[in-house]
Amino acid sequence: MFAFTVARRYLFSNPSQTALLIAGVALGVTAFVFITALIQGLAIRLTDDVTANSAHVSLEPVTRVARVLPSADVDVESVAIVSTFQRRQIRAWASTVELLRSQPSVSAISPQISGSAFLVKGEAVAPVAVSAIDPSGLDAISPISTEIVSGDASLGADGILIGVRLAENLGLSAGQPVLFRTDRGVDRLLTVRGIFQTGLQSLDERVAYLSLQTARPLFLLPEGVTNIEVKLVDPARAREFAAFLTEATGLRATSWQEKNANLEGALAAQARTGTLIQIFSLISVLIGIASALSLSANRRRGEIGIMRAFGVSKRFIAGVFVLQGLLIGVVGAGIGCLSGFALCSWLATLTEPDGMMVLPIAPSEGGYVAVFLLTTLGAILASVIPARSAARLDPLEAIQQ
Amino acid sequence: MSPVLDARGIGMTFRNGDELTEVLKGVDLTLNPGELAALLGASGSGKSTLLSIVGLLLRPTVGTITIAGERVDTLSEAQRALFRNRRLGFIFQFHYLLPDFTATENVAFPAAAPAGGISPEMRRRARDLLARVGLSDRMEFPATRLSGGQKQRVAIARALMNGPDLVLADEPTGSLDRASAEQVLDLMREVNQEDGATFLICTHDEHVAARCTRRISLSDGRVESVMRTDLGARGA
Repeated sequence: MFAFTVARRYLFSNPSQTALLIAGVALGVTAFVFITALIQGLAIRLTDDVTANSAHVSLEPVTRVARVLPSADVDVESVAIVSTFQRRQIRAWASTVELLRSQPSVSAISPQISGSAFLVKGEAVAPVAVSAIDPSGLDAISPISTEIVSGDASLGADGILIGVRLAENLGLSAGQPVLFRTDRGVDRLLTVRGIFQTGLQSLDERVAYLSLQTARPLFLLPEGVTNIEVKLVDPARAREFAAFLTEATGLRATSWQEKNANLEGALAAQARTGTLIQIFSLISVLIGIASALSLSANRRRGEIGIMRAFGVSKRFIAGVFVLQGLLIGVVGAGIGCLSGFALCSWLATLTEPDGMMVLPIAPSEGGYVAVFLLTTLGAILASVIPARSAARLDPLEAIQQ
Repeated sequence: MSPVLDARGIGMTFRNGDELTEVLKGVDLTLNPGELAALLGASGSGKSTLLSIVGLLLRPTVGTITIAGERVDTLSEAQRALFRNRRLGFIFQFHYLLPDFTATENVAFPAAAPAGGISPEMRRRARDLLARVGLSDRMEFPATRLSGGQKQRVAIARALMNGPDLVLADEPTGSLDRASAEQVLDLMREVNQEDGATFLICTHDEHVAARCTRRISLSDGRVESVMRTDLGARGA
């Protein structure tokens, strides 16, 4: 294709200017890749932080509400009163667990008794959110046993695991007894078997783990459980799996996204900000290409004029400039993607003293295909204006100048 | 013998705001095959405008133009471009060679662009033409490495690439020194006499006109005189 040969020669005729132009495109693409990888990395880290230590889907009994009872004979309305004392529970939890076990998307299941209680040590009292679990599935939802910093993770018949901040607040250490008082006023002396540190203040300060067996008499639940916590292979699918479970079990299923609506909103806002930055970096790239090609078309007015005088078609001349845009876009985007990946990969190796990444960047999430296609397409579009102006050049006017 | 160029009643009026300027006033011009004609006139006489109209770079306000038996003043823009490419050759005061191409590629360009590339046949013809204009040793030189006279000779070879019926030259020696100008004039006469190519050379230089077989003088937008110059034909 002769237009391609002409386009290539035009670009090579001024190597330093072409190199600068390509460098400009590559820089813009690198910025795009960096921003995309950073925003995606941040979203992944925040999602991981939230989903690593909590369930992806929680199953609970549906909330009971007082309801009006129909009455045909009498002129009064009857209302069914719901007991607020009786703890809501899932009686047939074993069959629900069986259903969950049959789902390949489920990676862990933890039937629990959850409730509120107080830990009393001398005059110090601290409220705790209790998670009573099967000791064999202690790490099913949160890897507590790996985060024990004092004592061990064996719950036993009278054991309790508490977080490091709670232990500090109550002056407790592993092996010490503590008075456990439920919200129903049931007391029992338990022994702190282990102290964990997850790094999440809400867990380290407020949560205590018991065995199901220990919790049953304390929470007056001899058979049922209050909730079933589920982990999935792919946390991103929690919302649709929750909808399936609601349908299949009649229980109320809540996804981690619903529980963390603020996080989702923050991630969406962050993504929108990123998109704006990406758009601006692409626009600056495209303006650079359009202005450089316009200058080239202006500098070559005489040559274009003689081509037109010789009857070379407008299409050919426009093609020469569009192909220049295409070449600049492809080469610039290619180099930008490579340098962006290299930059992100290097940044991903930088860590704080505690092992955390300096920037939560995900080099594999740089949006390489999208930015390559967008830049190439944009470069073609950016070259259309100079291409049209070159093709429309009046040969006589160009030659006489 | 039918004429190569037959322009009848060519008129051209330019509008500049409310002001109308009549540059050509009913010019008749006929060229026979093999002629080497000079179009003379002072600045503003309308000779460049007439050359542009004959070269289909400008549409006349009135008049008809027939080139090699084909009526061309009624052609569309695309048809005019195609006609220019296949039937006309141009030499301008400034060569306008493509600086990023060799002499051979520049000569082949008018044929290569519509065809999508330089075929071996085109390359061969371009090289023959370069040899014809005395540039056998500069065929693969980039245009930027040629002297002014050499560039203008490449431009002449380029004008002949598609075997035009008519070659139009606008002050072809205007930007050359005397020695280079003489070489270029000799070359155009040689091509005219040996190959039978028809030239219409627009000039204000009497010395150039003296080398031509016919002098057509324009004054105030009209043909003032047409004179056959036997001296030019003899190559004195």
